Amino acid sequence: MAIDKRFIGREYGPYTYTIGAEKMREFALALGGAHPAAGTPGEAPAHVSPLLHDAQAAKDGPYGDLIAFPSFAVVFAIRPFGSAVADPELGINLLMLVHGEQELEFLDVMRPGDVMTTTGRIAEIFEKAGMEFVVVTSESRNQRGDVVVKGTWTAVIRG
Amino acid sequence: MARTFQVGDTFTHVRECDRYRPIYYAGASGDFNPIHIDPEVGQAAGLGGVILQGLCTLGWAVEAVGIFVGDPGRIRRVKVRFSRPVRLEDTVTFQGRVTVLEGHRLVTEVTATNQRGEAVLKGAVVEASIG
Repeated sequence: MAIDKRFIGREYGPYTYTIGAEKMREFALALGGAHPAAGTPGEAPAHVSPLLHDAQAAKDGPYGDLIAFPSFAVVFAIRPFGSAVADPELGINLLMLVHGEQELEFLDVMRPGDVMTTTGRIAEIFEKAGMEFVVVTSESRNQRGDVVVKGTWTAVIRG
Repeated sequence: MARTFQVGDTFTHVRECDRYRPIYYAGASGDFNPIHIDPEVGQAAGLGGVILQGLCTLGWAVEAVGIFVGDPGRIRRVKVRFSRPVRLEDTVTFQGRVTVLEGHRLVTEVTATNQRGEAVLKGAVVEASIG
């Protein structure tokens, strides 16, 4: 069943998320290959930058504080995409949905305590090769109103 | 930065999807889609078991370039197509090459292949600022 193109332009959000130091560290270490256990996100593998998990090294580094791993942004910036594909009016069968493409732009680093506000909209709905595509764009601003992350999220719904 | 870069420079980064990585990544990212944590659901969805979150693979490509430029805070853009799932105990090799250097803007093309030589990402581009 084709998704109605009249939903192009539908907006989702704003959604607000406060970045916490331990959540940033947990993400960087889980992605980086650490083995979390009760009470600890695990030992950082050697290739993981200390700027992501070592408070003292980060304080002495170029940003003066811990920074989030860039794709940590998906934790909050995915929200409009998640809302769009689950929007009952679109009627998408989530079991047939795959994440087809992803683009993220990072205009600044993210630090503990940053308050991110994300909005998004359905940018495109189209069919190709018997499958349906839904493209959602997102924009996340920090507490100063600066755009920090832009995302383009593409869902493919298998026929 | 003391280090200099040139078009054509290459780099390699290898990551293993160990048995619990999709669960650890689910906890850290909030992506608890059952196809990533429940083998029965993965089977029922025709995936032959659980698969790693594509956004984790994207993160590994970002990690590869962050290590190459020496600072993850310098990554400015990433774009990928997810062409094949990463499964438990797969080893993914990321090979990157600098394709553009304009002022402080460094663009790399990154391939990501599993231990069978199959591409798990297509058209992956990661940009960094080296200024």
